[in-house]
Amino acid sequence: MKKTFNLAAIICTVVIFMAANVSYAQKAGGPWTIPAKYKSMKSTIKAGDPSINSTGKELYNKHCKSCHGAKGLGDGPKAANLKTSTGDFSSKKFQDQADGDIYYQSFVGRDEMPNFEKKILDESDRWAVVYFMRTMKK
Amino acid sequence: MKNFNLYGRVSALAIMAFMLSCFSGFAQEEATEEPAKERPARPAFESGLLFDGATTTLQPSKTLEMIIQHRFGTMDNGVKDLYGIWAPSNIRLGMNYSILNNLMVGIGTTKFNKMQDIQVKYNVLQQTRSNKIPVTISLYEVVGIDGSSDEKFGVNYKFSNRFNYFTQIIISRRFNDMFSLQIAPGFTHYNSVDSTLDHDRLSFSFAGRVKFSPQSSLVIGADIPLRVQGISEHSKDFNDTNANWNQMLPNINIGYEVSTSTHAFHLYLASGQGILPQENIMFNKNDFFSKGILIGLNITRLWSF
Repeated sequence: MKKTFNLAAIICTVVIFMAANVSYAQKAGGPWTIPAKYKSMKSTIKAGDPSINSTGKELYNKHCKSCHGAKGLGDGPKAANLKTSTGDFSSKKFQDQADGDIYYQSFVGRDEMPNFEKKILDESDRWAVVYFMRTMKK
Repeated sequence: MKNFNLYGRVSALAIMAFMLSCFSGFAQEEATEEPAKERPARPAFESGLLFDGATTTLQPSKTLEMIIQHRFGTMDNGVKDLYGIWAPSNIRLGMNYSILNNLMVGIGTTKFNKMQDIQVKYNVLQQTRSNKIPVTISLYEVVGIDGSSDEKFGVNYKFSNRFNYFTQIIISRRFNDMFSLQIAPGFTHYNSVDSTLDHDRLSFSFAGRVKFSPQSSLVIGADIPLRVQGISEHSKDFNDTNANWNQMLPNINIGYEVSTSTHAFHLYLASGQGILPQENIMFNKNDFFSKGILIGLNITRLWSF
């Protein structure tokens, strides 16, 4: 009786452990609805601005890398915990977007993608991050 | 006639060096565009907490910050208590909330002396990227309420005996992406102290960071109580030979900071175990340079609403 109980307890523990560690397939996020204000938004810094590889890189590493990965491939350590795929910033599909679209997705966000407007307050710093993501192009 | 000890002289020199460097031209922010509109400089430090004290960094309004501070015992017993890790430790749990972009309030509870605290931090001045305003200045207040038993406060116990206060002006400068420094004169008052001590102490604190990677920094700081005969309740002879000044030791800290979007972690060596600034200023008896080192650990977590 005791042996049977112990065996049942072990089996239950193993089943619960395995269930808890099943990784569910991630779904790609659906299309974004970008408000008109952001579609026509223009950067406050120029392409090639030195802040892109200093401030932009630093802020990306601090706020974005843990989910999106160091090269924007969506392979950050926290990405596996998300239901939505974190995308691929090196892809043509991502890079072909307008600056304002990337800005909206990065700082306003939706669902599992947080809002970063309070984390990165300065407008030019935000554009430095957007342009840094553009350097991830394949 | 004020009587500064060695730490006092070092503090005075540090203040002069800091003020001179603020107004020199060598430190440039990311100067890439016309300064048509004054932009606030990025924060000098990643977190509003550094070691046992505050920095001038405030989180934006409607941000909640949870804080865990842990100080192990001193390492002087060596491997017997695993360099202080198994020794009696002090711990504080706190919560801060930014009411405005430049105003934060906080509460906390600390194990030693069952100290409860209320904190307020207010940014008076914000450094700008054009260097028109070269520093950030904050006012910081910690009100502590000692939760020990009534007997600790001697005869004629009153509830007000439990209160202590720490008031500080913090002046920081972000010199560049790598290097920031702050200095902070402070004033500590305890409503009730042992008869051999003074109720009041002046102090000088400084802290600096060298950011060597996007998320990691070397951080160093000290809280130095000052021997100021002018505010002492005892004679100079008494102070020079008794516990009031003989055991007045600075809290020195050196270590490592990691910061992410939502967390800051500090792992460092320290001498003060009090956690609240006033406890270190008034009662620290650990000599950093003579077996009085302990491991300190801070964790903060942010929620934005």
